[in-house]
Amino acid sequence: MLYAQILLNGLVLGGLYACISVGFSLVWGVLNVINVLHGSFVVLGSYIAYFAYAHFGIHPFFSIIIAGALLFALGYVVQLGLINRVVGAPVLTTLVLTFGLDLLLNNGMLLAFSADYRSVQLADPLGSAVVGGLVFPLDRLVAMLLAGVLTGLLYLLLVRSKIGRAIVAVRMDREAAALMGVDVKKIYAITFGIGALMAGAAGSLLSLVFPISPLAGSEYLSIAFIVCILGGLGSISGAIVGGIVLGLIQSFGALFIGPQHGLTIAFVLLIILLIFKPTGIMGRRGYE
Amino acid sequence: MRSYMKAWLLAVASAAVFLAQPAVANETLRIGAPLPLTGPLSPEGLKQQRGYDLWAETVNTAGGIKVGGDVYDVEIVYVDYESQTPRAVQTAERLITADNVNFLFAPFGSGAAKAASSVAERYQIPMIAATASSSSVYDQGYQYLFGTFTPNSTLTEPLAKIVANSGQDVSTVAIYARNDLFPLAIANEMKKSTENNDLEVISFDEYAIGTMDHASALTLMLRSKPDWVFTTGYINDLILIRRQMADLGIEPKVLTMIAGPAYQEFIDATGDHSNNVSSAAWWHPAVSYDGKDIFGSTADFVAAFEAKYNAVPDYAEASAAAAGAILELAIEQAGTIEPTAVRDALASMDAVTFYGPVHFGENGQIDSLEPPVFQIQDGKAKTIFPEIIKQADMRFGGIE
Repeated sequence: MLYAQILLNGLVLGGLYACISVGFSLVWGVLNVINVLHGSFVVLGSYIAYFAYAHFGIHPFFSIIIAGALLFALGYVVQLGLINRVVGAPVLTTLVLTFGLDLLLNNGMLLAFSADYRSVQLADPLGSAVVGGLVFPLDRLVAMLLAGVLTGLLYLLLVRSKIGRAIVAVRMDREAAALMGVDVKKIYAITFGIGALMAGAAGSLLSLVFPISPLAGSEYLSIAFIVCILGGLGSISGAIVGGIVLGLIQSFGALFIGPQHGLTIAFVLLIILLIFKPTGIMGRRGYE
Repeated sequence: MRSYMKAWLLAVASAAVFLAQPAVANETLRIGAPLPLTGPLSPEGLKQQRGYDLWAETVNTAGGIKVGGDVYDVEIVYVDYESQTPRAVQTAERLITADNVNFLFAPFGSGAAKAASSVAERYQIPMIAATASSSSVYDQGYQYLFGTFTPNSTLTEPLAKIVANSGQDVSTVAIYARNDLFPLAIANEMKKSTENNDLEVISFDEYAIGTMDHASALTLMLRSKPDWVFTTGYINDLILIRRQMADLGIEPKVLTMIAGPAYQEFIDATGDHSNNVSSAAWWHPAVSYDGKDIFGSTADFVAAFEAKYNAVPDYAEASAAAAGAILELAIEQAGTIEPTAVRDALASMDAVTFYGPVHFGENGQIDSLEPPVFQIQDGKAKTIFPEIIKQADMRFGGIE
């Protein structure tokens, strides 16, 4: 029963990790931009959910729509107005640009919201359910399931819609896509916007789980980074597999070696993976 | 006629300027404060800054510090060391050699204060540490270092005694600590205190800095069913741990968390789950002292802080303000701002302040305070120790 509980804990955690990472993976895969802003986008989504609940009583499960829409708009504008200007430059240039923008956004949030930790206190939390001796933390579980639904919708968007096919086409061959009449810069902006949307929606869901503070942005970013490299860059399935693998490693690592070594084990495996299978567990390129 | 008018106006203007000036302009007392105003420790650095600023503003509004025939306004010279301890040492030296500060307030925490104390000692500049508790900071044989936090054991020993002598059926303790300087030091002290009081530590686990999930460690804790869960960490860790404990249905008879519950944010962020969580800190707004310092009573200090910041002060903010108030008392007692004389006045200080009674031991660490133990009851922190400021008896159970 202990192992089953640890497995459950790992799966729920992994689902949340995947939810943090999927937008980051999309942007990195399609635009070849390491979006350092991603962690702060997640935090901004959490703040939107926090204030939406505190002032208007909107449950974070529903404020994913507001957070997603606002973050999409922000991401679209940032990409169109700023990152598109240097998107063809070496990856270090976009890295420095998003790093600078992250400093601005992070310090802006510190000024606006202070460094105090906040948390969404639901009037009627779902609590936990015990089934067959296993404890199911329901808020976390529903957050994870909603994250799964969102990820599924993103997948459908990419494989079924015209815009999705354009994104995939740009991911595969930018020049060829441009020759086929795809407005590459616009697709970049839409992709970055979708990445930000996923970050905002994830932040909204995570507001029920983690304390909210501008300082949490760097932690979310490192999770996204590890998940993408573990799972394989640029694919939704890679982000899901990477997230769940990381969640399980941390859970079982804490059980067998001690909670202080959970992250260490994850990093050691990451290094081993980089040596023997640098494309990640899924090892696929693109969303095709 | 025209030149007469001009001369008259000039005379009136000169008189106005002359009258607007005080009889003697105040001199300026410069105190250097290296703080982590940016980077991961910035929330703590900003708290200390609020305490110092309140003290400086209160002194200057009251007309300054009177020393012999002179009056000094206070100026705090802040330097941001960006949460990097080596830089804290450099900035402390720069404050003395380039900014010519008269005194120093130490950087945040035990590690940085210890590192910077060697600079203060070398230049013989008195330095007051507002947030350093580890005995190793003070056991260096230094003469110019003074600290307003008592040793960590003074937080854990009263807690263990209260629980052990309560008559409740509490015998086993699980300790879960953040692997970080202060949280681990407190956890180790707790282990000693439980053993001193015939309680059994059934598990002692550490978690890494930046841990985003405690479910596995807590699942193991759930199986061992400890009577008392003692966790240490910073506020974000403890909010997360408290929530996950509730998720997993861990309901010990006693739950102690250090240092989150000292902050109102903890109560706000955990809601009903904060109820019956016990803690200890070096100071709490519920304590009550009638001080001889610039702030007066504890209630006056809390009111002044609330008026300026619209927030209730926590122990770090109070300790920072107390560091200023104590320095001021020492300067007044010495009758000079000469560093050695002020150092001697600090060493021999025996005064009551809003923060509590102040007396420094041989090693410079305060030895006159009894840090309060408190418990959150019905959404409010209530002191349960020491007896003189006790507001409620400790409750057992009710951790849901």
